[in-house]
Amino acid sequence: MKWFAEGFGLLMPIVLSGAAGIWLVCSSFLEHVRGSKEPYGGRKLHVLVGVVLASAVILTFAVIWPKAGEQSLILFYLMDDIPVFFHVDALGRLFAAVTSVIWLAAGFYAFQYMKREGEEKRFFGFYLLLYGILLALDFAGNLVTLYFFYELMTLCATPLILHNGSKAAIMAALKYLFYSMCGAYCALFGIYVLYQYCDTLAFTAGGTLNQALAAGNSGLLQIAVFLMLIGFGAKAGMFPLHSWLTAAHPAAPSPASAVLSAIIVKGGVLAVIRTVYNIVGPDFIRGTWVQTAWMSLTLLTVFMGSMLAYREKGLKKRLAYSTISQVSYILFGLSLLVPTGMTGALLHVVFHAGVKCVLFLAAGIFIFRTGKTRVDEYAGIGKSMKVSLWCYTFASLALIGIPPFSGFISKWYLAQGALQSDTGIFRIAGPVVLLLSALLTAGYLLPVTIKGFLPGEGRMPEKGGDGDVGAEIQGCNSGAEAAAGADAAGKPDMMSAALLVLTILTVLIGLFPEPLVQYAAEIAAAVM
Amino acid sequence: MAFVQNFPFISILLSLFAGPISSVLNGKWAKRLNLFVITVIGGMSAAVLSFVLGTGQEYVYTMGHFPAPWGNEIRVGILEAAMALFFCIIMFLCVIGGVLERELEIEESKQNLYYIMVNLLLCSLLALIYTNDLFTAYVFVEINTISACGLIMIRQTGRTFEAAVRYMIMSLLGSGLLLLGICFLYSLTGHLLMSNIKEQAALLQASGEYHIPLLVAICLMSVGIAIKSALYPFHTWLPDAYGYSTLSSAAILSSLVSKGYIFLLVKIFYRVIGFDIIRESKVINVLFVFGVAGMIMGSVNAIKENDINRMIAYSSVAQIGYIYMGFGLGTTSGMIASIYHIVSHAATKSLLFVAASGITDASAKSKNFFDLTGAGYRNKLAGVAFTVGSLSMVGFPMFSGFISKLLFAQAAMENRHKIMITMIALAISVILNAVYFMKTVIRIYTPEKKTVVVDKGFEEISFWEQPAKSFALVCFIALNVFLGLFSEPVIGLIERGLEMFA
Amino acid sequence: MNAYMMVIAVLLPMAGGVLIPLLPFRKRNVMAFYIEMLVLITSALTFGLIMNPPSDAFVLFRFTGQLSISLKLDAAGSVFAVILAFLWPFATLYSFEYMKHEGRERVFFMFYTLTYGVTLGIAMAEDIVTMYFFYEMLTMVTLPLVLHTLTREAVLASRTYLYYSLGGAAFAFIGMIFILIYGSTSNFTPGGVLDMAALGEKANLLLFVYVLCFCGFSVKAAMCPFCAWLPKAGVAPTPVTALLHAVAVVKAGAFATMRITYFSFGADFLRGTWAQELVMALTVFTIVFGCSRALKETHFKRRLAWSTVSNLSYILFGITMMTPLGLIGAFSHMICHAVMKICSFFCAGAVIYKTGRTYIHELDGLGRKMPKVFVIFVVASLALMGVPGLCGFVSKWNLAKGAVASGNPLAYAGLGAILISALLTAIYMLTIVVRAFFPGKEFDYGTIADIKDPNWVMLLPLCVFVVVMFVIGLHPQFLTEALEQVVSAVFQG
Repeated sequence: MKWFAEGFGLLMPIVLSGAAGIWLVCSSFLEHVRGSKEPYGGRKLHVLVGVVLASAVILTFAVIWPKAGEQSLILFYLMDDIPVFFHVDALGRLFAAVTSVIWLAAGFYAFQYMKREGEEKRFFGFYLLLYGILLALDFAGNLVTLYFFYELMTLCATPLILHNGSKAAIMAALKYLFYSMCGAYCALFGIYVLYQYCDTLAFTAGGTLNQALAAGNSGLLQIAVFLMLIGFGAKAGMFPLHSWLTAAHPAAPSPASAVLSAIIVKGGVLAVIRTVYNIVGPDFIRGTWVQTAWMSLTLLTVFMGSMLAYREKGLKKRLAYSTISQVSYILFGLSLLVPTGMTGALLHVVFHAGVKCVLFLAAGIFIFRTGKTRVDEYAGIGKSMKVSLWCYTFASLALIGIPPFSGFISKWYLAQGALQSDTGIFRIAGPVVLLLSALLTAGYLLPVTIKGFLPGEGRMPEKGGDGDVGAEIQGCNSGAEAAAGADAAGKPDMMSAALLVLTILTVLIGLFPEPLVQYAAEIAAAVM
Repeated sequence: MAFVQNFPFISILLSLFAGPISSVLNGKWAKRLNLFVITVIGGMSAAVLSFVLGTGQEYVYTMGHFPAPWGNEIRVGILEAAMALFFCIIMFLCVIGGVLERELEIEESKQNLYYIMVNLLLCSLLALIYTNDLFTAYVFVEINTISACGLIMIRQTGRTFEAAVRYMIMSLLGSGLLLLGICFLYSLTGHLLMSNIKEQAALLQASGEYHIPLLVAICLMSVGIAIKSALYPFHTWLPDAYGYSTLSSAAILSSLVSKGYIFLLVKIFYRVIGFDIIRESKVINVLFVFGVAGMIMGSVNAIKENDINRMIAYSSVAQIGYIYMGFGLGTTSGMIASIYHIVSHAATKSLLFVAASGITDASAKSKNFFDLTGAGYRNKLAGVAFTVGSLSMVGFPMFSGFISKLLFAQAAMENRHKIMITMIALAISVILNAVYFMKTVIRIYTPEKKTVVVDKGFEEISFWEQPAKSFALVCFIALNVFLGLFSEPVIGLIERGLEMFA
Repeated sequence: MNAYMMVIAVLLPMAGGVLIPLLPFRKRNVMAFYIEMLVLITSALTFGLIMNPPSDAFVLFRFTGQLSISLKLDAAGSVFAVILAFLWPFATLYSFEYMKHEGRERVFFMFYTLTYGVTLGIAMAEDIVTMYFFYEMLTMVTLPLVLHTLTREAVLASRTYLYYSLGGAAFAFIGMIFILIYGSTSNFTPGGVLDMAALGEKANLLLFVYVLCFCGFSVKAAMCPFCAWLPKAGVAPTPVTALLHAVAVVKAGAFATMRITYFSFGADFLRGTWAQELVMALTVFTIVFGCSRALKETHFKRRLAWSTVSNLSYILFGITMMTPLGLIGAFSHMICHAVMKICSFFCAGAVIYKTGRTYIHELDGLGRKMPKVFVIFVVASLALMGVPGLCGFVSKWNLAKGAVASGNPLAYAGLGAILISALLTAIYMLTIVVRAFFPGKEFDYGTIADIKDPNWVMLLPLCVFVVVMFVIGLHPQFLTEALEQVVSAVFQG
């Protein structure tokens, strides 16, 4: 396939899901405008979305299959010397693969979940569109293309967050939007500066900084790089622009929170990696105040996120804090600027994506079935939602980092990286904070499992199986939702299936991490 | 000696005798006589101007052929002739512009009295312009004062009496100071003829003798004339005098009377003392400061005013400030700018007074600012005229005010110490002018509610309803535009005239 | 083309405009046709002139030996002329529909068309006197447009507008006088006309004068602290706020500052002096100030007007960099902002026309009822925010390129200000968008059931602007290349 080889192939999944997404969005919008009463898509919609999603994922894998070689494509020129340029490299492959898997699972999960939320057509429209944009983001070959799709990602994720249209959701979406924009513009400042001092903005291993030009201006450049870290870090939930996460996650529908936490925050991580390792070059910031400040911020965020999660009572909000903390593990690994640290970071990208997706999807099921959002209300749910709670438990263990689950491996590499690095006090402080945070992670994740399976004497529901739980729910919740919950409880369904598959994948990849570790290490070695 | 050379003297005499003759005529015929006289004098001035331009030489006309120091001399140059012509034009337009008001506001039996005053005023103005004798100048200054007083109080209301008395007191104070100054000069130099004094003054300056008395004389004369021409802070008589007198009086007073005095001051500077001596004395700095203060304060007061006539009157204070500021620059170009501004302001201010009367006519004679709403639609010509006058005042290109502003600014460039003060004062003054003039323009073009129009009895006034006023307005507008677009010949005249002065 | 053509281009709309209230149009459509043809012919003529600029100047009138009104079209003037000639026909078309509910159309169109001629005069002015002349005239011909509704608010707004504008002109006048005296010629000459030898120790005074003059001209460009008039002037009918107070008048101010900076005082003379720092600091401050005021504002059009205040200072900021790249940035923002802002204003106008709603909290849910208008508004908002792929990104990029390359620390601060402003822009524009499309669950669409999109006359200009935004955003090379030529002509002197 000549056409494919010329690079247009990588456009195919992007265009496919993007076009389908736009079509769905428009058609949903037009339905509203015309006021036609046609019910939301229903089965036909699910089939369409499922087919598009699946084929896009397949196409993606065709593109990123290592045998397909490094493809690149210049689409058109945005500026005189800046093309919209796609290039599939090892890092992009990794991210695209993770994105695809998670997207597929969460998508199928959403078929059932979103029935209750309504406006499915719009949701899936933006969902597909976002997938296309994320792929483009992963494949972006230079900084401006990356920024282009980064902005689009920000914008297109907004409707997912404000999906239910409540005041809180709209405010949360705006908060998300403005924090992201703030970050994006900080980053844009850096891009403007780097454009002047770099040979090219195309991603190159080891950086493209023009040493001659940069010589006298390192002060400015350091400020610019730092601003980029803060800016892209906003998306990745790094202090000080982290607080959108805790507003957006509880407000969004669960599948949206899941992809938000698992994938979209990783968009920020990807951008940070691209900036530091492919444009500026790790050598430029190693040992400068930028690295110190960056590490301090990440460690602060790791600790703060865990602490706040520990104190938080709402499950989804707790998980959001957890995301803040966990993504900063990744950023901490990157900030070490050593290959091992980066390997750990990349591993944690993959693991955290899977795990956090599972956690949110599980939380979604809890909420879907019980209508409750607070952690202390979940006592005894293990009876009715065994599978979900087991999935949740496995994911929790993985996130805490209990061997042999996946989190252990990434954290191991992160700690190793910290110890190997030449960063003074952070060599010790890093691992200590990571350890503390892991303890806190256990502290905030496991209570759900414990309470779920062992509600304690006083709270034990009366014997009588699943229906009783349903009855109890009915007592404290509005009729229709609870009825739906009780109805679905216990039966094998799409949500549980998606959750289960994803959990199994996550566990497996934790148990057999060898190829992945090797792959990550290669990427890390290439850029150092 | 060409016959034309007699014209200045004849024109003074003509206007002087037209006064007494008017006293035996009734109002209507007095008016006709007056207009005829003004026209004739204007024609003669034009003839003189063309003669002087032709010869390129000024000439001295000795009355009765008695040589100095006994005889009385008239001196005619380009500037004098041009001024005489210009004053005639303005006066003519003012008189016909205000004819309606005069008939309404002045008692039937006193109609002819008015024209006596106008004739006398014209006579004194011409004399001030032409005379080469300082004492003659003083005499005509007094005649000027008295006739101006008459013009103010001919509209017999309490306000005008008060204004006239105030004007009289201030003006006599000014004349007194002027007289003192002349006495000083006379005792210093022993002469009253301007050319003779100048020779002596140059000698005094060269020898360094009597430096202080000379300075005192200059000061006394400058201050005297400043009081009479309403330089800030001696302007307090002005708003009432202009604001409450009948239309043509206000227009004539603001555009001619004070300008006559100022022209006398120019003559004193150039012809009596010598501009170099003036420049070295610090008097011009004082004038500069007062001028700048007047530019600002006059406008500030105008902004506070709600009576449209008084507002325009206060604006005169500001404009007089411009003129004195031009003197204060102490350069020839500053002087040219000032003289151009005398012309430009005379044309604009009388336009504004006449236009304002047209506007108030359409607002049931109310001069209150708030009653003027929509007047521009009720009296279209007056509205346009007022807009033109306002634009000229704020220095809008195409109108005369722009050229004077330009000349002032260019003149300021030659005085390195006063550049920025002048520039910024000009700018601020323009803004202030814009505030009150354009506020009024917007007001008169904001339509009034129908009910209010009916309630207050506002009526529409068409072009042909007041033909005389309309004619005057059209001429004033044309004059303004002419001065704005084709200023070069006028400036040329002033330049050449000033050269003759020196 | 012959130099006479310039005079025709300037005088045709003026003369034709004056005729509008006098001609006996039987039907409204005939009048509309007449006006549209007038504008179209002028635009065609202008484009013709830009393609084949006449090589010599045309002296229209002479005040005195030195002062004359003369026209000449150079490269920099062409940029401004292109904006005007492109936007005016569309704006006029839009006005035909919009002005139906405002009344007093003949007076409106008279002054609206007059303004076209006057602004073209500014674009084609050969020397500083001519520019000053048209600049003052612009104030006067646009005054009745601000006053149009004749409400008390409009009267107050027009007064403010007038005081500011005339005041600005009064200070610009000082600069003009200095150029007349110290310049070798009053004509606009690339590189400036100041005679350095004659200047001597007066350099500092001249810098002061430059600051005064810059501030004077930038009153029209609504630079802080002279920006208060612009939001107030939002009471004017939307075609006025859209075309004049977002493009023609305000950009005339920016254009005039560009002229005096690069063609009269000369960038070389000013670069690196305290004067440059001062004016740049003012623009940087305005960039942020305008946006933050926009954020506070709850009136739809006034919010956009504050946004204009900020965006105009982008242009001024580009101008004050005094480098070729900075000037390219300024020009490209001049073009891009013109399209973006006129588009957003027209959307606001369409809403006012169809619903009479003027406050932002009244826009809830309108996105569904006026889908075309609001989708276009979204595009315009995104462009204003500087989302890549739309023209706002291009101009910001060019400005940023200039700022970074200039190496001036204040320019970095300005860059920061631009980005802060972009964030604030995102906030104040997207809140509107979110309100319109996502009014919240409780919102009852029944209350706005009978609201519809306007007809094609209003939508056509909007669609064209959207296309332009995309074209420039996705394919900016042609623009940048053209501007590079323009700017190289400016700097070759």
